[in-house]
Amino acid sequence: MPRRGRDAVSALARALLERRVIVVCGSGGVGKTTTASALALHAARGGRRVLVCTIDPSRRLATSLGLQQLSGRPRPIDLRRFGAGRGSMSAMVLDVKSTFDALVLRHAPNEASRRRILDNRFYRHVSAALAGSHEYMAMEKLLELAADDRFDLIVLDTPPTRHALDFLEAPDRLLDFLDTSVLKWFLRPYFAAGRLTIRVATRTGAAALKLADRFLGLRFLEELSEFFLAFEGMYDGFKERAARVHALLRDPSSGFVLVAAPSPLALEEALFFHRRLAEKQMPFLGFVVNRVHPDPARDDRARRAPWGSLGPVAVEPDLAARLLAVFRDLQVLARVERRAIARLEVDARDRPILVPELEQDVHDLRRLAEFGDTIFGGVALASRPAAAVAR
Amino acid sequence: MLLDDLLSRRLLVLTGKGGVGKSVVGAAIALAARERGRRVLLVEVASPLEAARRLGAGPSHGRPTEIQPGLFTVNLDPAAVMEEYVRHVVRIDLLVRRILESPVYHRFFAAAPALKELMLLGKIMVLEEERTGLARRHAWDLVVVDAPATGHGLAFLKVPLAAAEAIPVGPVGHNARRILKLLRDRRRTALVIVAIPEEMAAVEAVELHRLAVDEVGVAPAAVVLNGCHERRFSDEEEVEILRLSAAGLRGRLDEGVPLEAALRAGRRQVRRRKLTRFYQDRLRRALPLPLVSLPFLFREDLGLEELHSLAARLEAA
Repeated sequence: MPRRGRDAVSALARALLERRVIVVCGSGGVGKTTTASALALHAARGGRRVLVCTIDPSRRLATSLGLQQLSGRPRPIDLRRFGAGRGSMSAMVLDVKSTFDALVLRHAPNEASRRRILDNRFYRHVSAALAGSHEYMAMEKLLELAADDRFDLIVLDTPPTRHALDFLEAPDRLLDFLDTSVLKWFLRPYFAAGRLTIRVATRTGAAALKLADRFLGLRFLEELSEFFLAFEGMYDGFKERAARVHALLRDPSSGFVLVAAPSPLALEEALFFHRRLAEKQMPFLGFVVNRVHPDPARDDRARRAPWGSLGPVAVEPDLAARLLAVFRDLQVLARVERRAIARLEVDARDRPILVPELEQDVHDLRRLAEFGDTIFGGVALASRPAAAVAR
Repeated sequence: MLLDDLLSRRLLVLTGKGGVGKSVVGAAIALAARERGRRVLLVEVASPLEAARRLGAGPSHGRPTEIQPGLFTVNLDPAAVMEEYVRHVVRIDLLVRRILESPVYHRFFAAAPALKELMLLGKIMVLEEERTGLARRHAWDLVVVDAPATGHGLAFLKVPLAAAEAIPVGPVGHNARRILKLLRDRRRTALVIVAIPEEMAAVEAVELHRLAVDEVGVAPAAVVLNGCHERRFSDEEEVEILRLSAAGLRGRLDEGVPLEAALRAGRRQVRRRKLTRFYQDRLRRALPLPLVSLPFLFREDLGLEELHSLAARLEAA
């Protein structure tokens, strides 16, 4: 049985009070950062000590928190106006490079190998650009933050991915890349002996090496090779941390919130991510669909006045025609969205939490609080009985 | 005329926050260029054929496909582009197959730093330079690129810069420098920043402009503000809507349309229009660029007809 809308809301509200880690995922432009911040604020107002961490270098979180600047360290946000009581809220932006550096410092066996990595040109230029490094460092940071007893709840806003899958799998891919056994396979024989001889076991290996040489040139290969050799010995430590992150994400004290816009494409992505979570046995908390346009004729307030009983009113004809056109436009929009959401309900067997389009853009704390109230206060939009969904 | 300026370049790269409708804007620009008689190639990157589908195209299988006279689309898949490059470099079929089948290749390609982006930009450069026929004319007058929404700002365009610095010699470093040169050539290349009239998108548009100028050195040519709510009521009518709302009149405007609900829809429209206006003014003040507004379209699906109407807006800008 799918949950009813009200149940989905109360489940999420409960999670905000009980869980330790909440990961907020979704494709770009669906209001993910805003949702993550609003959930964090709501939990803080409920008395928890919350940290919200975003990956986005474009400082979107800072904007929505009404702060000029956020740094790589948790920064407390003044909640006095919100009656948070014992609760508190801090925010930070993930600094990919410094998290990577910290990881190296943690795992390097000695000062020399530390320097070898940090000074390596390849590392300096591309560690932050490695495919998956944002995702990997987000996970790494999460592990560190989850152990920080200044906070009861960590809300992690994830990088917007075109393909939601990337977020869960990128860390593994990066680890695969750093697995020295892979590149050593064709790089090490090249340089380990300190002279440039091609001694590789297979013809394919030789061809791959030749290819790499043609691609990248000798000097870069040397640096690349040094980079991997420097990571040797640290790899086991990395792997162990990654295993702990996976365990943390699967733990019942964690949970995923999937955010979407009411467009078919964004909902499809959310559904896809939902399936992946199930496959990976990671706890799913619920869908949040932002900026939903309710059918203007079926809105709460319209229902109070049953229009069957209403007579025509005199409105200037030009204005009436224009009002009607605007009304019809909104109906089309509402219909398109309703269809897409209904499909998600059927496919995911779950009732999403629908957040109606707000009157104002959310870009300060007060609006964030209102956003949270909209999610947790009114469930009218999502309260159609479950039986209404064809099964 | 904005379009004159855009069409004087050979490469347009669209950028903007996710969800602002870059692919629709890209398709509209391509269509407008074609109506002016240009041969246009619209490049999408690993997208589920969004813009091309709206233009009525089927799958392109990685090759430019002419979907209307003079209008071509191609959907680049990073893995396929990489394979093509391997074939080009190695040339020996058996070896190519062995390399492409080897797990090392796949693991390397999956995570190698920015390799995908570099390969894609390389391919875009090749397309821009492609010549055809006996006269060796440019195959396309204009290449429009819907850059992937990486979510990391201009990460996609910063790749050649990082590669050029990290790889001092060899063909990859050489190509990275060539790509960088193309991106920085103001006569050939321009960035089009796409935004919508909302706070986050506006902030990001300004940030993208700064990064483009300061860090990549590519010239932004225009801001396209998509999804704008335009004036639907006169000033007097807007006042009248508020008056009628406050009066709490009961009644219906039309069959199934309560007046109260229609007035609410009207107030929403006015609010959105004002917000649109606010962000138009703000972006005009913040960015030294021409700004074009495209309307929000209330449609079941955006197809060729809607794209033509957007193209006409660009032409009129």
